[in-house]
Amino acid sequence: DEVPLMEDVDEEGYGFYAVRKAEYDDTPETAKKEAEKLYYPSVTSVNAEEKAKILHDKQPRFLEDEGFYVGTRPKISGWNVNKMENRLIKELHREKWFGEDGRMIVLPNPLRPTPSRPPIPEEQEPGLEVQYRKAIMHEFDSRYIDGSLDNAGYYQLDVDINSLSFSHHHLFSREHVLATRLSQLYEEYMDRQKKNMAEYLSEKLKALKLSAVHLKDHMAAKKSEHNYADRSNFQKRLQDYKDEIRRARALRDKEEKTDRLLLKAIIKTWKDIKQQREKQKFINTPLKLQVITEETNKEFDLTQWKLEIEDELEEMEEEATEIYNRKKTEYEEALKKHAEQVKAKEDARVRIHKRSRKQSTKGSRASLGSKASKHSAENEPNPEEEAKDQEILNEPEIEIPDKPEEFNKEQARKDIIAKAKEIRRRPGEPKLYPEVTSTQPITEASKCPRGEQQRRNDVSKCEMFLKVLFNNKEVSRTSSKPLTQEFKLNFGQIFSLKIVQWPESITYQVYETSGFGGEIICEINSSIPDSSVTSQSVQLENLDFSSDHRVNHGHEGVGSGVPFSFGAKNEGTETLYTTGELRCSVAWAINDQGELLVPPSTQEQGNMFYAMRKMDPVTAIGAAGVVDIQKLAKWFEDSRLDPNDPANADLVYMLKSKGGESALLGPKEFFRLEQLQEEFNFCDDEAIDENKRFRLIYLRDSEVTEFKNYKMIPLLDRDIPRDTFAEYEKKKREEEKYKEEKDIESHRAAVSKFMQRVREQVIRRFRLLAHQRRLEDVINEEAVPNIALLGTSVLKLTERRRPLRVERKERKKVVPQTIDNVKILININRAVYVPRRVAASRGGAMTAREPDKAVKNIVGETQVQPFIEVMFQDVFLHTEVGDGPNPSYNEELEMPFKAPNEDYTPGNLQTVTDNIYLNLFDQVLIDIQEDDRQRGTTVHQRIEKKWLGGLTIPFSTVYFNGKIDGTFKLNKPPVLLGYTQGPDEEEGTSLRSNEENTYLSVFMTIEPPLQPPEPMRERFATTEDEKLLQYADNWEKTLNAKFSDREYKTTVIDVNGKTVFVTRYFKALEPPPDIFGSSDTEVKKMEVVARYVSMIPSVSDSVVFPGLCDIWSTCDQFLQMMAGDEEEHAVLLANYFLYMKKITWLIIGKGIPEGPTAYVMTEQENDYWIWNAGTGEHFSYRDSYCPLQSISCLINAENIWANVQQYEKPAQMNFDLSQGASWRSFFTRSFPNTGIASYQPERLYYKPTNKNAVLDLQEKIETLLKNKIMEWRSRLITRWNRHCTQIMRKLLPVLEENLGHSPGEQHLAELESTFSAYKVSGFPINMPYNEINPIVDAVFSTRVHAHDTSDVEFALAVYIHPYPNDVLSVWVYVASLIRSR
Amino acid sequence: MNTKCLHNVNSSKMAEVHIVGQIVGASGFPDHSLFCKWGINTGGAWKALAGLREGQTQVDTPQQHDAAYWAHPIDIHYATKGLQGWPKIHFQVWHQDSFGRNELYGYGFCHVPTTPGMHEIECPTWRPSGSFKEQVSQYFLGGGPQLKNPDLIYSGADRYRLHTIAMGSVHVRLGVILRNFDKYGIEC
Repeated sequence: DEVPLMEDVDEEGYGFYAVRKAEYDDTPETAKKEAEKLYYPSVTSVNAEEKAKILHDKQPRFLEDEGFYVGTRPKISGWNVNKMENRLIKELHREKWFGEDGRMIVLPNPLRPTPSRPPIPEEQEPGLEVQYRKAIMHEFDSRYIDGSLDNAGYYQLDVDINSLSFSHHHLFSREHVLATRLSQLYEEYMDRQKKNMAEYLSEKLKALKLSAVHLKDHMAAKKSEHNYADRSNFQKRLQDYKDEIRRARALRDKEEKTDRLLLKAIIKTWKDIKQQREKQKFINTPLKLQVITEETNKEFDLTQWKLEIEDELEEMEEEATEIYNRKKTEYEEALKKHAEQVKAKEDARVRIHKRSRKQSTKGSRASLGSKASKHSAENEPNPEEEAKDQEILNEPEIEIPDKPEEFNKEQARKDIIAKAKEIRRRPGEPKLYPEVTSTQPITEASKCPRGEQQRRNDVSKCEMFLKVLFNNKEVSRTSSKPLTQEFKLNFGQIFSLKIVQWPESITYQVYETSGFGGEIICEINSSIPDSSVTSQSVQLENLDFSSDHRVNHGHEGVGSGVPFSFGAKNEGTETLYTTGELRCSVAWAINDQGELLVPPSTQEQGNMFYAMRKMDPVTAIGAAGVVDIQKLAKWFEDSRLDPNDPANADLVYMLKSKGGESALLGPKEFFRLEQLQEEFNFCDDEAIDENKRFRLIYLRDSEVTEFKNYKMIPLLDRDIPRDTFAEYEKKKREEEKYKEEKDIESHRAAVSKFMQRVREQVIRRFRLLAHQRRLEDVINEEAVPNIALLGTSVLKLTERRRPLRVERKERKKVVPQTIDNVKILININRAVYVPRRVAASRGGAMTAREPDKAVKNIVGETQVQPFIEVMFQDVFLHTEVGDGPNPSYNEELEMPFKAPNEDYTPGNLQTVTDNIYLNLFDQVLIDIQEDDRQRGTTVHQRIEKKWLGGLTIPFSTVYFNGKIDGTFKLNKPPVLLGYTQGPDEEEGTSLRSNEENTYLSVFMTIEPPLQPPEPMRERFATTEDEKLLQYADNWEKTLNAKFSDREYKTTVIDVNGKTVFVTRYFKALEPPPDIFGSSDTEVKKMEVVARYVSMIPSVSDSVVFPGLCDIWSTCDQFLQMMAGDEEEHAVLLANYFLYMKKITWLIIGKGIPEGPTAYVMTEQENDYWIWNAGTGEHFSYRDSYCPLQSISCLINAENIWANVQQYEKPAQMNFDLSQGASWRSFFTRSFPNTGIASYQPERLYYKPTNKNAVLDLQEKIETLLKNKIMEWRSRLITRWNRHCTQIMRKLLPVLEENLGHSPGEQHLAELESTFSAYKVSGFPINMPYNEINPIVDAVFSTRVHAHDTSDVEFALAVYIHPYPNDVLSVWVYVASLIRSR
Repeated sequence: MNTKCLHNVNSSKMAEVHIVGQIVGASGFPDHSLFCKWGINTGGAWKALAGLREGQTQVDTPQQHDAAYWAHPIDIHYATKGLQGWPKIHFQVWHQDSFGRNELYGYGFCHVPTTPGMHEIECPTWRPSGSFKEQVSQYFLGGGPQLKNPDLIYSGADRYRLHTIAMGSVHVRLGVILRNFDKYGIEC
């Protein structure tokens, strides 16, 4: 057993380890070795000798005593220092360890001022912070103060409702009414008494007079001493005094008058009360008036009185003389001028007369010689002189002012006395002081008559309470309080509202209950308190209220809103409405800790900035307000701060210069964001910016108008045409320069630039809205069919099949992507009342030359061979040639349509400005057979087209309406040489004799139907009353439910993209005064105004504001932009008519060819005239050819009337607006018009048109047109007939004067006789001036130039009639002349 | 990629990057009623010619709770004058709980691949963890710590101090079209 089992067990025991003692080799050997090798420095201080040796026997120097900053030495125990010094002294280079002061060199403080322990997770680095945010429902609603309902903020409003008192109530008795009046008057009296303005002003007057007298004396005394400047200075001061005196007197008189009237009224009311009390035999109110009289000295009064009057008289005289003198000189000057003018005119007349006589003799001689149109130079009178004389004659006559009247002293005295009697206490009259007390005992109820008892009973039954509405939601209500006999209620309740939404409105509703149920009397709006108004600082305020509530009582109570009288003696009746005062206040609450519970006005700045501030040394050292670092550096230098002081370390760091030289402290001059960027760039920024491809891509992406429709952009730069940006850049450049010039054209350009800017602004706003998508825009969800619909569709299954019954099917609208080959289908049915050629038998010169060759009618005479030519996007199509004045075509023309950039999206199509021109021509065949011998075998003819009239339909009209269908009046020139439209002499009765116009029946549509633009559903921002808009919405909805196809308009969008109520657009505005000229009759004036308006160019809104329709600009904006569509024209015309005191409405309806449009209607005797503001024409409402097809509503400044009649054609309608069955008005008795202010400017300012510029323009157009005609006939020679042009020039102003109507037979006859040797065909065209291009187009579309022979001469005259404000009416007379053989 | 400086190139040929693709969806999140806000961030040398640089997907509420699918298109065209600041896409994944409340689920970013062609990218996300108290209230009430300064998602500042928790990943499929880089000596 003693033998261990395992052999490896040693003496230390079992296991793998053993516990051993710590070993220490402690032998004397070790101690000896240590003593040899180790050195223990002494702890005693180093002896001075050694130290001196280190300093090389120099005196120690103490830097600190010399003023250097050395910092504090760290605290080390003396032993340690000594030990170290002793050790260092034994070193080889011991000098370097010791400073100049002989002490060991020590770092000031080796410890860092900031602890640098490792970061602890809880501590956040600035900029790396995280923030705990609750999971929240995001309310997409800005009404919540903190963005959501369950927020942490606690905001409270305190609403204090103190008391309510009535100044009228329906339970007032007659006596109450009077008593309230008396107490009100008395209050006012007391108020005035307190201020005592009359007294104050009298004193002031006295003082002023005294000063004036002093000044006068002074001036008189020292007259010789003053120089001129002094004198004028004194003179001026004296004048000032006088003015001041006058003013003070007027004021005093006014005050005195009011005082006196007040006193009178008080006494009268008191008398009334007494009377009333007597009559009713009981007393209802405790009011009592006592008048205290104060006797006065009559003598004294009288002298005062007289003095006063004399004073005033004197003043008045002085003033009047001054005025008289001034006026007199004026008058004399005017007289002199007038006489001069009369004489000048007389001279001019004589000169003209002489000249004309001379000329006429010469002229007759010339005409004998030849009939050519040449004028020799000697025949020409000196035009300059003539013009000058004419100018003299045309000068407006100088008006002679009325002769001034001299001052009438007697009359003035009388006036003053009368005035004084009215406003002042008469001499000797006692002074009166009224005093109202509430001491009158009230008759007990039992002694009163039955009516009064009932009234009192009702009063005591009547109870009132108030509801408090926050953001139109009831939040609390007061308790019900009984009404006292004094009609006062005390609530004294404070409501605390904890709010989460931004306060929008605080409203009180006053309710009255008698017995059961409450009845709302009125609503009182309180303002939202300012954030500085707290419940501690707030004052109770009085809010007046009134109610239009009607109450009638059978007893003594006078009621409210019903007339009552005070009895037989006071004949007039009175109507009083319930009124009163509420004492209340609203304020932000303060909680127990004294914190204000106001929502923060702005969000607090992010914490980033806070952190930044911590790092900013400037703020850190507290040198706040130091902004300029340069200055800071200078200050640093100046103040000689020690740069070594760690307290300044931050500053030094900031100001440290690059070179490290501390002497040159200054801020760094650069800041580098992306290092090494520059070195590794491929190219510079410009290269990217100038890259055409990139630019194109970028502009397309940012939806710049010119580029947004680009589909494909070439991959290679070189494939992009060089001029791609030319237009865009030009536009940009123009936008930049924007300078004002005198030229009319540049003005137009400036206006169009302005318009462009407005447009961009509106579009931006619109796009903002358009990008705010709603659920419906993203998700197309079919409505669940309701049971009724289901029922009808089930019934349809059982219906009998009727294959022959025609049913209209809606055409399917195609999606823009799939479109190609779009056509406009134009179906031309027929034309009626086409002008006929003047018969050859009449011997006129302008007939068709070969009548016998043309197709003849029964009588054997060709009347006319009309056909229609359609022009659109430079494509021409025409119908077959018809025959006679009433041709029937029934032809369908297919006109190809190309959208710009092949983009058929609604957004793009809206901007298409192309017009469809429909022109009616007469085809004339002219035989040009030279050789009569061939006549049997050959036909050689030339076809000539004579323009008879035209119609222009903008593409946008067809696009928006889907189709156009109807009979249209053709625009026909007022003078059409060679054609007549009167009754057909041969056929006699077949034509209506008074028919002057040609009509064309057309149907037009687009195939395939294009997607019309989506109307804007988004509500625009508005400043209108929410209630009004809501009511308007409802009104429109209920009407639309009945008449879905009528457009009822209540709000429109203005150019700022805001919703505006439509009646705001109406206001009487003065038309330019100088357009009337010689027109005298009312009708004529109206026509002139209409013509003026029609001469303002028309541009469709959809073109101006693509994407949005119906923007209404105000009249001044319209006149400034010089473009607008039907609404703007109509509104302007309506406003002009209003100024002319006409009863006028704006019609919203549908017309042809415009589609939805606006017209103006005026009331004439027994008739209503409908004015087309775009053309200036007017029609009677019975006229069946009136282009207005339907009327939806009438609008004027007061109201909107919706047509609820069965018919909508004007001729079938009843225009009695008061009939509720025919017209539903917007404002009714239950929703009255509370006076909506007009949106239009106060008045319009017209700038005169520059006549010279107009002449320039006229010249320019004429030259351009001539060049164009020559260009169009480039194959042939174009000759111009000057003589004809001259005659035309004379004719055009006449046409303008006749407002575009035919000038009458006389003029035409003159024209005809002049050209008896020619075959003339031509006509004047009239249009408003906007740009030159449309004029060229219009001339081109008439095809006057299309004479395929060189045998023809042309005449062209342009006349521009300038209306004020650069409204120009352009007349172009163009004609072709063929010499008769 | 290999950069050689060759500056004698025709200046009309600029380097372009066209990124076309979609944010396919997200997976690996505790719950998959998710939506995502995204943005593309580039350095100063880059100019976006066309396309949206940021956006937000719809909320996907999947029937099977293994992943959320958004299939949100990304189509952006850049021109660049340098390689620095190559575009990165960053994401914020948000969770919409059964009460309709939104809370942050994760941040993440990834570089747009520098090789042309189609790429499937999986972008892991993380969210800040917050203190113990915040974690408790997050467990019971939802919400959670969010970065005050979301630029941190893609800027490399001292992020080591942030304590985060790994969340799921966002799947992105991007087609990258490069053009004219070879003109500047960059071989793709």
